Amino acid sequence: MSAVLLIAIPILAAFISILVKKWSPYILLLVSFGLVILLGYLPLETIIIGGFSAPYGISLVVDNYSYTALYVVNVLFFLVAVINVYNYKKLSTILLVSLAGLNGLMLTGDLFNLFVFLEISGISAYIITTTNKKPLTTFNYLVAGTVGSSLYLLGLIILYNMFGTLNMADMAVRIAASGASDIEVALPFMLMFIGIGVEAKLLPFNSWVKGILGHSNKLTGPMIAGVYAAASLFVFGRLLTEVFVISDTFMLIISVILAFSILAGEAMAYSSTKAREILLFSSIAQAGIAVLVFVSGFTGYAVLFVSLNGFSKVVLFLIINHATEVVGSDEVKDLQGLFVNNKLVGASFTATVLSLLGLPLFAGFFVKMGILSQLFSSGDYIFPAIILLSSVVEGVYFIKLLTKLWYKEDNLPQVKFELPLVYLVVVIALLLVVFGLYFEPLQDQAAVLVNLVKGVIL
Amino acid sequence: MASLELLVIVALLGGVLAYLVGKINKVVGASLTVLVTGFIFVSVTYFGLNGSLDASITYLPFVSFEATDLYLGTYFGILVTFIFFMVSFFNPYFIDKYKYPSLYSMFYLFSLAGVLGVFFTDNFLVLFFFFELVVWTSLFLIPLGKSKRAASWYYGFSAFGSFSLLFAIFVMRNTAGSFDINDGLSMVGGSDQILVFILLMVAAFAKLGAFPLHIWLPKVLGNAPDPVTSVFSGGLEKLGAFVAVMGLVKLAPVGPVIEAIDMALGQYFIAILGALTIVFGTLMAIRQDDAKKLLAYSSMSNGGYILVALTLLNDTSVSGALYHVLIHALASTAAFLAIGAVNRQTGTTKMSELGGMIHKMPVTYVVYLIAIISIAGIPPMGGFVSKWLIFQSVINEGMILIAIATFFGSIGSFLYVFRPLAALFLGQELPEFKKVIKEAPVFMLLPMIILSGLNIFTGVHPSMILEYINNILGELGVAQLGITTWTISGNNGELYPALIAVVFGVGVVIAFIIFILLKKSKKVDLMDTYTAGNFIYTEELLHYSVDFYAPIERLYEKYINIMKDFYKGVAKKVQEFGSFVKYFFFTSKPEITVLWVVIVLGILLLWGDLL
Repeated sequence: MSAVLLIAIPILAAFISILVKKWSPYILLLVSFGLVILLGYLPLETIIIGGFSAPYGISLVVDNYSYTALYVVNVLFFLVAVINVYNYKKLSTILLVSLAGLNGLMLTGDLFNLFVFLEISGISAYIITTTNKKPLTTFNYLVAGTVGSSLYLLGLIILYNMFGTLNMADMAVRIAASGASDIEVALPFMLMFIGIGVEAKLLPFNSWVKGILGHSNKLTGPMIAGVYAAASLFVFGRLLTEVFVISDTFMLIISVILAFSILAGEAMAYSSTKAREILLFSSIAQAGIAVLVFVSGFTGYAVLFVSLNGFSKVVLFLIINHATEVVGSDEVKDLQGLFVNNKLVGASFTATVLSLLGLPLFAGFFVKMGILSQLFSSGDYIFPAIILLSSVVEGVYFIKLLTKLWYKEDNLPQVKFELPLVYLVVVIALLLVVFGLYFEPLQDQAAVLVNLVKGVIL
Repeated sequence: MASLELLVIVALLGGVLAYLVGKINKVVGASLTVLVTGFIFVSVTYFGLNGSLDASITYLPFVSFEATDLYLGTYFGILVTFIFFMVSFFNPYFIDKYKYPSLYSMFYLFSLAGVLGVFFTDNFLVLFFFFELVVWTSLFLIPLGKSKRAASWYYGFSAFGSFSLLFAIFVMRNTAGSFDINDGLSMVGGSDQILVFILLMVAAFAKLGAFPLHIWLPKVLGNAPDPVTSVFSGGLEKLGAFVAVMGLVKLAPVGPVIEAIDMALGQYFIAILGALTIVFGTLMAIRQDDAKKLLAYSSMSNGGYILVALTLLNDTSVSGALYHVLIHALASTAAFLAIGAVNRQTGTTKMSELGGMIHKMPVTYVVYLIAIISIAGIPPMGGFVSKWLIFQSVINEGMILIAIATFFGSIGSFLYVFRPLAALFLGQELPEFKKVIKEAPVFMLLPMIILSGLNIFTGVHPSMILEYINNILGELGVAQLGITTWTISGNNGELYPALIAVVFGVGVVIAFIIFILLKKSKKVDLMDTYTAGNFIYTEELLHYSVDFYAPIERLYEKYINIMKDFYKGVAKKVQEFGSFVKYFFFTSKPEITVLWVVIVLGILLLWGDLL
């Protein structure tokens, strides 16, 4: 099977779904599920579109990295779609387009092509977030996202001007060969970094997050915080590990931004009283950690971290946003006692949180240990300290949240969770526990992904 | 042969089983914890003392154990599994009070698995794995009690401690090249060693509840369910002592040596903090009205003794510290269980609300009496022996101020431990409890009686255990304590614990004879009280335990909240920082975001220009 189909099928299906509106939800499910299955038959290869060889044509890259990323994004997308397709029938076409865009993001080996997919997935994201019924926040998102992709484009133009190529691998080779100093390429990279940083939720470029996720529903919460966040971090990882030349000054700047993202994210979550805000600010900190691990060059663990984070965020946002829709408020005090009558859902939520905190018996523990171990091995003591310190804050507010959701005597919120959602969160939570006990597959996967080096994908 | 790994698996699977059974019948589920902890305790003790604990079986990936020549781990392991076993007898009686009973049984056993792992592993990463396992499983036991907030306080301090431990582990790994515990501790040097020392001490202080990381201890011990409190005080706190042994004894002393007292600066600093822990714990314990909180602060001050003694690094002090770990575990567990028994029968632990329990619960009374005699360090109980060892090492070292603190703690403990005795058990019975109260059930009395027996045994015939501790001293490279069957030689002469016990026993017998022969006191009703010719309606206010030490308390009551306010201040600052960032970056105006992007770019361009 060719990787092109991963983009072509959803686009085609999107057109068909316009023609047969009634069937569009089923088409969405079928396509989304079909792609997950098809992924199993995807060979590791680089596809050159139209037969124009590397620097001239557009190439799609299927290596271990994008393969993992595709799996994570497609599975998450399917899960979110299954839960929501009934309530948001009208969005089926848009969701198909966004699936095509996301798959393109994961696959493309071309910097300009990346911009195109960034726009496709971005535009579908704007439309998806209109279901929040908060037009102003969507408008915010649109402005921020457009500014971000424009900056990316600007950086790319400068790079193209300097090196005359758009292919990622070729770019990396040419930069190395040209002997351009680190300072010369720092500006375009910085512009691109900020551009992607908007989508990846890095401070201070991420003000849209509060509006979008703070008012998110069962579709937009998991979609933006889970699927899109994972996708944008994977893109970030691709660029950081394979294209960017990171000089010391550039590294210092990035470090400051990331440290600020991590610490401020946790602090903001700590100061929030709304459940959705707690989750969204915590995800800002997590995004900071993910980018940090990518920048430090530990691709394997970064990919695992992003994947786990994606699954975890889907669970957390699904549960909280469902409860919020029923109760009509996302203040923690209104949701207090939510799990007293929903023990299974509560247990899944708890397991996911514990995994997110990196506690033993859950998959998060090994990923966190792996990340810290790698950081320490490289002789860096500052970032591990920041991560650990932020984990203390993170732990405190999550434990506070958990005890509140589990304990209340009377006047419990009357929330019932429908079966598909319960199945989904339970299965994901169980997987987190299973991989927490049997983590060798994760370690192997991390080891495979470590072998990514610049220029290999050419 | 007993495989350590199988024991851990037994604890974990036992936990799952207890959960499933608990779903059907919660009392049976809770009773399972007795079986499982009993099995593990017996295996660890029997095979541990024979030196035949097996580490060769490795079903679990990544987990590795060390069982040969591991006296220290075995000592702690036996002690803590014993405490878990004893306390588990209480579980079936308390299970009705919990909101999530089957989860309680599961996490109780999970914590035990974690404890086993910590004490027996030879690998730092595995140690951390189990350390964290203990943190989160015990965390969920806390909110089953009175306060939900105590759990997040506990997590905050514990996480701070365990992440310090993790940091230290990785620093040592970078030096030693592996996660081996002994290699790491022996090979680290230079400035890294100072860092490791500080970090290990933070971990030990946080777990032990020592000043200045003590805030969580009274909250957790005061509010958790009674069995959980006992386990924390007798068992889980000892993880801190274990880490302290690593940092203070196994790691080479840190800092320049102070000539006058022949002690490294790092150790001296910890000794001072330990002394402060003793003093603050004592002062706070004096103030408490709630018996559980009072014992919680007493636990804190006893942690201080262990720290002070461990810093001195000679035969009497280290053996004193290790013996005190045991003594305090036995005594405080017995005391907490006794208070827990009273709580179960009456529903309160407030001293001002209770009285005269001796009439209905005589066995519990005796258990509590023996426990507090040991805590106060009075012969013939174990507390006397351990404190005797610690005191003389401190004096011998010439550390006057710290010696004063330790004496202060001991005298202070006379002031506070006897208060619950007088207030809860002695005095007149309150009318509302007169009819309904009975002695605790037999299976609750059983562990209390066993613990009391051990409290006496450790005081009368300590040489058996001290001999074992001598093995640990050998393993740690500290000079061994001189003991014979009936004597212990210290710096200032020999101690004959059994002789003291006999003299004491004779004294008790004489006192008892006098008590029998003399005229009995007249029994009066509690309401049979008059003041200034008026009948008393609010007799609680006249209860003699209300404001018992008011004059002493007045001396320092202004200063008691300083540390707590400090931590609340820290939390507030984090919150303010969060709100600040939110205010500046998370507006509903997109132009602000664009402005930030431009500002960041501008800064970068200028920066690039300058560089």
